[in-house]
Amino acid sequence: MVAFAALVPLLLATLAIGLRGVAAMRTTSDFLVASRRVSPLLNSAAVSGEYLSAASFLGVAGLMLKDGAGALWYPVGFAAGYLAMLVLVAAPMRRSGALTVPDFAEARLGSPWLRRLGAVVVLVVAGLYLVPQLRTAGLVLSAVSPTPYWVGVVIAGAVVATALALGGMRAATYVQAFQFCLKLVLFIVPALWLLALAGPDVRAQAVEPGEYTRFERDTSVSFRTGAVLRVEEPVVITERDGTRWKAAVGEHRVGAGRTLVFEEGGRVPSVLGSAPPGGPDWHRPLLATVGDGYPLLSTLSVLTATVLGTMGLPHVIMRFHTSPDGRSARRTAAITVALLGVFYLFPGVYGALARVLVPHLYLSGATDTAVVALPAQVDQGWQGTVLTALLTAGAFAAFLATSMGLLLVVAGAVAHDLLPGGLRRLRAAVLGAAAVAVPPALFAAGIDAGILVTWGFTVAASTFCPLLVLGIGWRRLTPAGALAGVAAGLAASSGAIAVALFGPDVPGWAGVLVAQPAPWTVPLAFAVMVAVSLAGRPPAWARTAVLRLHLDDDHRGPSLR
Amino acid sequence: MPPLLARTDHTQSTATLVAARSVSERLKHGLNGPGSRGAARHLRHLLGARGLALADLSGQPIWSGRPAEHADTAPLLEAVLRGEASRGTPPLQAAPLHAGDDLAGVLLVHGDVSARAVREAALLVARALESGRLEASAERAAQAEFRALRAEISPHFVYNALTVIASLVRSDPDRAQELMLDFADYTRYSLARHGDYTTVSEEFHAIETYLALQRALLGDRLRVQVRVAPEVLGVAVPYLVLQPLVENAVRHGVEPGGGPGLVQVSGEAEGNDCVIGVEDDGPGMPPELAREVLSGGREDSDAVGLANVDRRLRHVYGPWYGLVVETEEGAGTRVVVRVPRFQPGVLP
Repeated sequence: MVAFAALVPLLLATLAIGLRGVAAMRTTSDFLVASRRVSPLLNSAAVSGEYLSAASFLGVAGLMLKDGAGALWYPVGFAAGYLAMLVLVAAPMRRSGALTVPDFAEARLGSPWLRRLGAVVVLVVAGLYLVPQLRTAGLVLSAVSPTPYWVGVVIAGAVVATALALGGMRAATYVQAFQFCLKLVLFIVPALWLLALAGPDVRAQAVEPGEYTRFERDTSVSFRTGAVLRVEEPVVITERDGTRWKAAVGEHRVGAGRTLVFEEGGRVPSVLGSAPPGGPDWHRPLLATVGDGYPLLSTLSVLTATVLGTMGLPHVIMRFHTSPDGRSARRTAAITVALLGVFYLFPGVYGALARVLVPHLYLSGATDTAVVALPAQVDQGWQGTVLTALLTAGAFAAFLATSMGLLLVVAGAVAHDLLPGGLRRLRAAVLGAAAVAVPPALFAAGIDAGILVTWGFTVAASTFCPLLVLGIGWRRLTPAGALAGVAAGLAASSGAIAVALFGPDVPGWAGVLVAQPAPWTVPLAFAVMVAVSLAGRPPAWARTAVLRLHLDDDHRGPSLR
Repeated sequence: MPPLLARTDHTQSTATLVAARSVSERLKHGLNGPGSRGAARHLRHLLGARGLALADLSGQPIWSGRPAEHADTAPLLEAVLRGEASRGTPPLQAAPLHAGDDLAGVLLVHGDVSARAVREAALLVARALESGRLEASAERAAQAEFRALRAEISPHFVYNALTVIASLVRSDPDRAQELMLDFADYTRYSLARHGDYTTVSEEFHAIETYLALQRALLGDRLRVQVRVAPEVLGVAVPYLVLQPLVENAVRHGVEPGGGPGLVQVSGEAEGNDCVIGVEDDGPGMPPELAREVLSGGREDSDAVGLANVDRRLRHVYGPWYGLVVETEEGAGTRVVVRVPRFQPGVLP
């Protein structure tokens, strides 16, 4: 309940900002210096604030608890994406003046169809990114208070839509920068506090975790989603109403909403589809996405998706528009890498502690709540409560910042590119997008936030990455080539994801390439784009358009200023 | 009464109409534009020719279908370009294309096509070229008007500023010099730059200069509040769209009252749009008057400024993006400019 209380000031602040509008620069008596530029540091704090989502705040530690130390490759990719952006697209994209990738496509290639296709890609990427945000918010709410998962998701969706509709549509740099500092403090301070509280034994175990085989005490596990447990040794289980029964060897289906208490000393049942945390594979510094085969391929797949996908994330690229020129856009990207690097030092701390203190979460599939579940295990007194409250508030701040940005992008794509109309349509689109995003989040309870977000990166890497890179660097790109490449990348990546979600299990390395398709979809999109472009003739203005993207801002025509 | 067309004839004539329209659409950008190959193809289907070519004045034919293999087309083309009259007999004919009074190119037809059909086709192409030229010149005229509108604003301000400075020259020469420099800054901004667009940040700078000059005249009566979100500072807008609005707010919101007046200028992003509002707490005006001002129905100099900004915004961004004036008698005035944060072709 205290955790809930921590949310209230956060929600009030968000709503107040939404209602009041954002007094970004203000001077009441005298005049502002309007030509004062936004500094790259402030801008990169805003980029990071928008970028650090629930997947970063909670998901990485959760994945580490579940899949092992190799999951730390996710934050590596999340941060390194800005390097690719810095080198390849930041400055030319800013010089083009484009706000979104569909804008860029129209400015560079002059094709309204490409613009529409781009808007569709924006919808897919933002959707894949938005669903895990809502899902995580729902999980966190149900972990810190006795609300069912679906209520949490609906509340989260309603809060975001209301805040946006009440006037939060102003994409506010100062607010996002503040949110970044807030998240940084709310993530780092509890981490250090927890480390201090946990004591030397836990710290030693965290560095050298053993396999999780036996319950070290009576362990209560709440199943928010259904799960199938495979019991290898009979274990005594107490239901919430007090009935005790002994689970026989074999598979047991546990329905959603049940809470079971496993008796101390019992052998931990395994969960279909994942290995118990802390085994030998857990230490391996590589990822395993499917079963435990092909860790190197899995790691490279995830890295390809995250590094190349960042430049295509619709809510992030918009932020670079705030930079006054190409050079400061590049500087912004560079500082962002550093700021994110600081933040991403800490999911590892939470992951390692969670492995020692809350390994049972993997039974219920709620590993994403590990971060907020930790303090209660370390300290039952006020310190634990305060830490839970801080972390919950931080997670909610992460969720709010990112989902508001994403909803706005979705609404912009609908109201601007697909069905052009006035402001009223933009507002309607915000509410519509929130309503559409909630149902998938209800069904996505079983899929980790980190995985879903990486799929968003994969689609962005297979569509916008080739479009941006070739559009900026290659004069011969034609509208037809760009259309064909983006369409091929979109079809291939979303098709592979659909197979991974709904299709049959694919064994072996092919399975890795279905679950993380970036290594083949990105080259495919590049190849199609180049091949189709070579067959046609580039538009007459292509040379000028490309030159303009690369012309330094200081040398742009006669100017007296 | 004309006989009713049979169904097959009906579809055939529709197809003919479609082909004719598509030929004229494709030739909008001239004979060496991107659509000329497609136009040649449609024209060939229309005539049922084996091959058909369009050549501009350079004499380079763009062929569709099978070129005339045996005959050398170059001398024929040359002859038509020199003589400006139709030459050749089936299966190879050439007709000159006149756009307006000038020769624009040659139509080459290879195949069994009657001379009359070739002549009509040449007329169709010529008409399409002519309408393309007209469209281009209409576009140029609109551009010229747009530039002229921009120049129309400055004199108001020049006059006002010089009056303000003149009033200070005797009483406070230092201040007058400062203001003169401000004024010099401003004229450099509004007159010396090339191109049609600037950034919101520069526009706000221009407002600053203007308000500095106004404060010299009005002193403490003029209170100003400016709030700009950093996201919109880099947005490209036409030159001098904000200054007339601020000028309007000062002149009608603050000057007449006698008491202090507040002018608020705000700029922020709203989704993909940039919204700039200029608000004063002056006497306001009846909404009908505001409507009349915007429609350009009033001839006095201040009204011209607002209507001018409105027309330029619509010209650049389309009919969605005009000025919005919210006003009522005794309730102040708020003028809102809404522009997309990115519009292809609009770059500072």
